[in-house]
Amino acid sequence: MIESDDETSPPQGESNGRREFLKSAGGIAVGAVTGAVALSQAQGVGANGSQLIATSNSNRVQYGMLIDLRRCIGCHSCSVACKAEADVPLGVARSWVEYTEKGEYPNTGRTFLPRMCNHCSDPDCVRVCPTGATYKRPQDGIVVVDQGVCIGCLYCAQACPYGARFLNPVTRFADKCDLCIHRVSKGLVPSCVNTCQGRARVFGDINDVTSEIHKLIAKHPVSVLREHIGTGPNVYYIGLDSTDENTKRPGQYVRVTTHNGTHTKRG
Amino acid sequence: MTHHLMWSWPVYWYLFLAGTGAGAIAVSAFIYLRGAGGNFGERYFIIAKFGALIGPLPVIIGTGFLIFELGRPFRAFNIMTSNFWYKAFNPSPMNYGGWLLLLVGLVSVLYALSFFNWKTIFDAGVGERLDKIARGLRKPLAGLCAPLAIATAIYTAMLLGAMPSRPLWNTPVLWALFTVSALSTGIAAIMLANRITHRSNGDQTRERQFHNSGYWLTLFDTILIVIELVVIALFFMFAYVTVQDASYAIQVILPGGEMGPLFWTWVVLIGLLIPLLFEAFFVFRTQYNGGHFRVPYLFEIALPLAVIVGGFMLRYVIVVGGQLTGPIGL
Repeated sequence: MIESDDETSPPQGESNGRREFLKSAGGIAVGAVTGAVALSQAQGVGANGSQLIATSNSNRVQYGMLIDLRRCIGCHSCSVACKAEADVPLGVARSWVEYTEKGEYPNTGRTFLPRMCNHCSDPDCVRVCPTGATYKRPQDGIVVVDQGVCIGCLYCAQACPYGARFLNPVTRFADKCDLCIHRVSKGLVPSCVNTCQGRARVFGDINDVTSEIHKLIAKHPVSVLREHIGTGPNVYYIGLDSTDENTKRPGQYVRVTTHNGTHTKRG
Repeated sequence: MTHHLMWSWPVYWYLFLAGTGAGAIAVSAFIYLRGAGGNFGERYFIIAKFGALIGPLPVIIGTGFLIFELGRPFRAFNIMTSNFWYKAFNPSPMNYGGWLLLLVGLVSVLYALSFFNWKTIFDAGVGERLDKIARGLRKPLAGLCAPLAIATAIYTAMLLGAMPSRPLWNTPVLWALFTVSALSTGIAAIMLANRITHRSNGDQTRERQFHNSGYWLTLFDTILIVIELVVIALFFMFAYVTVQDASYAIQVILPGGEMGPLFWTWVVLIGLLIPLLFEAFFVFRTQYNGGHFRVPYLFEIALPLAVIVGGFMLRYVIVVGGQLTGPIGL
C-alpha cells in the first residue's frame, strides 16, 4: 500500500509540492473559468465518479473531501485534531472514525470509516431548520450553523441522515463539522486533512475541474454514504466497504465501534 | 446497543398533550357549530363547554415543554422573528407550527373564556355586559377554533414526518394516525370531565342531558377507535410493502421489535381494543334496548382513561421508536 501514493496522485504526475499547492489553493476557486468543456471531458474519464459529480450544482464552488480508505489506518488523528481545533467538548464529536469488525476467526476483517458532516448539495438539515440558523454558504457550499440565531431544537440533528449533528453541551447550540471554515477561508486545508497520517484525506473544490479532488473523483470508483436519501453528500470515499451492523447476511458477525457506542449483530 | 434520544420526554409529552387538547377543542367547536342548523349544539352544549374548558391548558403546557426542551429556551421566538430577517418563507414545519401554536393558544383561551359564566363572577352590570359579549363571540371563536385545532393535531405529525432520515416517521399515514388519536383522546378527556363533574340532583332534564351526551361521546369514540385501527393497519401496510428503510424501521414496533411489546399491549390492546369492545357493547345495548344510556361507574372512568393512556403510549412508542431506527446501509 505504500506505492499507492502514485495511484491517488493526478494523472499528469505532479510533484507533492504541486499537490500541496492545489490543496491550499482550493479556496481560490479557479474552477468555473475552464468551464463546461473540460467538465464534459472529465465525465468521460471515470463513469462512477463523474455521475456523482453531475448531481451537484457544477457552476458553484463546492468544497468537499475525498477519503481514500485504502490509506486510512484508523489512528484517530483526524478525530483528535478536530477536537483540538474546534474545541469540541467531551462526549460529542464533529469528526470521528468508525471501526467495523466482521466475520469469524480466522476469516475476519476490520475496516475504518472516517466520518464527518457531508456538506450535502441538498441538505435536509437546512430544509427543516425553523429559524434559518443553518444554511449552505453560496460562496463555498459549506453548511454552517449561525450560533447567533440557533435555538437548539435539534430538528437538524434528527433530519441529518449521517448523524453528523449534535447539541453542544457547553454552548447549547446545534454543532457539527464546518470544514474548518476559519482555516479554509485563509487558504489552508481543514485540520483533519492537515494532520492525516496516511494522507488519506484530500480537500478541495469538487466542481473545479483542475483541482486534485475533482481529478481523483473522476479517475477512481468512489462512493458516498447513504446516497439513496438523496441529499447529495460531498464527502467521497475510495474503497468503501459498505458492511454495517444492519447488513443482512446469515450467520455473519458484525461489530461497529463508533464515537457513541458499539453496535453488534450476528445475522 | 446504546441509545441516545435527542428528543426525549418533553417531545412525546408535548405530542400527547397538544394532541389531546386540540382534539377536545376541535370536538367542542364542531359540536357547537353544528347547533347552527338545528338545536343539536344546544342539546349537547355540555360537550362543547367541557371541550372548550379543558382543551387550552394541555396545548399550552405541551408548548411549554417544547420550549423547555430547546437548547436555548429564551430564544424560542427566533422561530418567528429570524424568519423575517433571513428569508421570506421558511418551509420548516417547526416554523409554521410555531405560528400555529401561538394562534391556537390565544384563540382557544378566548374560546374557553366565552364559556365562563360571567354573571356569577362579576357584579350585575359588568357581568351582564361581559356575558353578552361572550355569547356573541362564542360562535365566531368556535369557527376559528375548529380549523386551528385540527391543524394543531395534524402539525404534531408533520413535525415528525418531514425527515427522510427517520423512516418510521416519514410516512404519509402518520398525520392521519395522530389526528384520529387526538380526536379520540380529546373525546375521552371530555367524557372523563363530564363524568367527574356530574352530581345527580334529581333534575330529570339535566340527568337526560348527561346520559345523552355520554351516549354521543361514546358513539363518536367507538367510531374513531375503529378508524384508528384501520389507520394503524395502513401504517403497517405502508411500511411493510415498502422496500428498504421503512420496512426495516417498522420492525421496531412489530412483535419481536424493541418497542413491540409496548405498542401491542398498551396502544393496541389497552388503548384501542378493550375500550372498543366495551364502548361498542354499551352503545349497541342502548340502540337495541332503547331507554337511557347507562354505563357502570367503573367503566365510565376506566374506558376514557384507557383511551388516554393508549394515546400517550402511541406518541411515546412512535417518538422513541423513530429515533431507534434510521436509514439502513452505510
